[in-house]
Amino acid sequence: MSDAAQTIAVEVIGIEQITPLIKHFKLAPVGGGSLPVFSGGSHIIVVMQGTARLHKNPYSLLGSPLQLDSYEIGVRRMEESRGGSHFMHDSVKVGSRLEIAHPVNLFGLDKIARKHVLIAGGIGITPFLAQLEDLHGGGIPYQMHYSVRSSEHAAFLERLQRREGERLHMYYDSEGQLIPFETLLATQPLGTHVYVCGPAGMINHVIATAKACGWPDSHVHWEQFSAPPVGDAFEVFLARSKISVHVPPDQSLLESIEAAGVEVPYLCRGGVCGFCHTKVLELDGELVHNDHFLSDADKAKGKSIMPCVSRAHGKRLVLDL
Amino acid sequence: MLVTGIKSKPVYAPLQADIRGRYHLMLGMGVGAAPLLRVIAEMRAASEASLKYTRVLYVPGAEAEQFKTAAVSDVQIFAGTPALLESFRQVLAQSLMGTRLYVAGPESFIGLVMKIALEFNLNKDEIRAEECGSLARRIYCIHCRATTEEVRTNIVRCVGCERWLLVRDHYSRRLAAYMGVMVDAEAPGELPLLKEVFL
Repeated sequence: MSDAAQTIAVEVIGIEQITPLIKHFKLAPVGGGSLPVFSGGSHIIVVMQGTARLHKNPYSLLGSPLQLDSYEIGVRRMEESRGGSHFMHDSVKVGSRLEIAHPVNLFGLDKIARKHVLIAGGIGITPFLAQLEDLHGGGIPYQMHYSVRSSEHAAFLERLQRREGERLHMYYDSEGQLIPFETLLATQPLGTHVYVCGPAGMINHVIATAKACGWPDSHVHWEQFSAPPVGDAFEVFLARSKISVHVPPDQSLLESIEAAGVEVPYLCRGGVCGFCHTKVLELDGELVHNDHFLSDADKAKGKSIMPCVSRAHGKRLVLDL
Repeated sequence: MLVTGIKSKPVYAPLQADIRGRYHLMLGMGVGAAPLLRVIAEMRAASEASLKYTRVLYVPGAEAEQFKTAAVSDVQIFAGTPALLESFRQVLAQSLMGTRLYVAGPESFIGLVMKIALEFNLNKDEIRAEECGSLARRIYCIHCRATTEEVRTNIVRCVGCERWLLVRDHYSRRLAAYMGVMVDAEAPGELPLLKEVFL
């Protein structure tokens, strides 16, 4: 945990605009040397000092896990950015310095799977690029299904085509091509694992289709980092620290608590890993759960919250922090 | 002397139909027929359609006749466990995701089925097993690697190296066997009383 909280100083050594919306960044450790080892599917948190405040966004590592002199990330410019992706696109130049947290993998490949089916939508291709490095030449059959708006939005297409050949299946929205989820999931041999990363609608559809085809949960893997949604401003009282914190509409609960000087353990900052799980001691009002970690039953109980993406509105919220 | 409280000892639960699965593969031996017939009845009540995709592989037992009246079309009866396992492997190789496995019989039978299921990367949420019948164990000798079958006693003479082995609760899913460790290594010839414990 202390490792994850410790950051590494990196310098931007390369930037390439690879689609109208996506920039590809190369980050090398300041002063040279090697970056920490990671496995395909890992992400890092990039810490950016913006003009108004600090941004901490998760980005998947897309380079080869064997190449540790620099990390590669892909950043999509979000229309409704809270500042992080715009900062990366507009303010970061070659030579800029950033802080990153150690890689964490919440989207690893199942090591004893008999086959892998990878499904990406848009920027969701990034974690798969590193996973494909692991799969390539490994002897386990796999397929990569990649759906994009149109050819100009197909990030990393050349790299994928060159290396994956017939294992790559492309789908262009502009041509009306859709991934045949039903057929794909109904015809896989026993021991297959499916992985999906992309827009929420696509992930939910894959999960639902797999279920309908009789897939057990343990063979279905997905990753989606939610940006903390904007909401109403509210007050939170931290019982152990004995301080009251104001959470503005465009700042997450976690960010506000951190800005008040209280540390909360975290790994993904996107509602996935469950690391920032916090007990709710008192609540007069309701919680707005935006995470993918708590079960629906736990969300309904209102006894805990994931402050990285979830919020509250009402008169009073007291957390065990 | 038996080392108990070891977490690797498998725990089984009564079989239940899981109609979230699309295909259902049932394997039974001897008195294992009863739990399977119970699941088939549950399925018929919950979703008649899932019976269409149900397949039974069975080593009798006196109960073989009962499957014929259970209205499951695909029932194969085998003369012994090795023949059933051989066929099971071929069925798995052709099976699709969405398959649920139901196993009922003596623990050693379940273990052999699970060993193959593991090779096909079936996870816990795809397999259900109910133990019924003999508790006799398969014992893997950690010294000579021979497996002694049908062990009912607390200590046993290894079929491979003839050492006296202590039968442990330490179970290997990969080998489908409990571990046997030389019992008189420290004090040669000093053996605990031979007792029947796995009946």
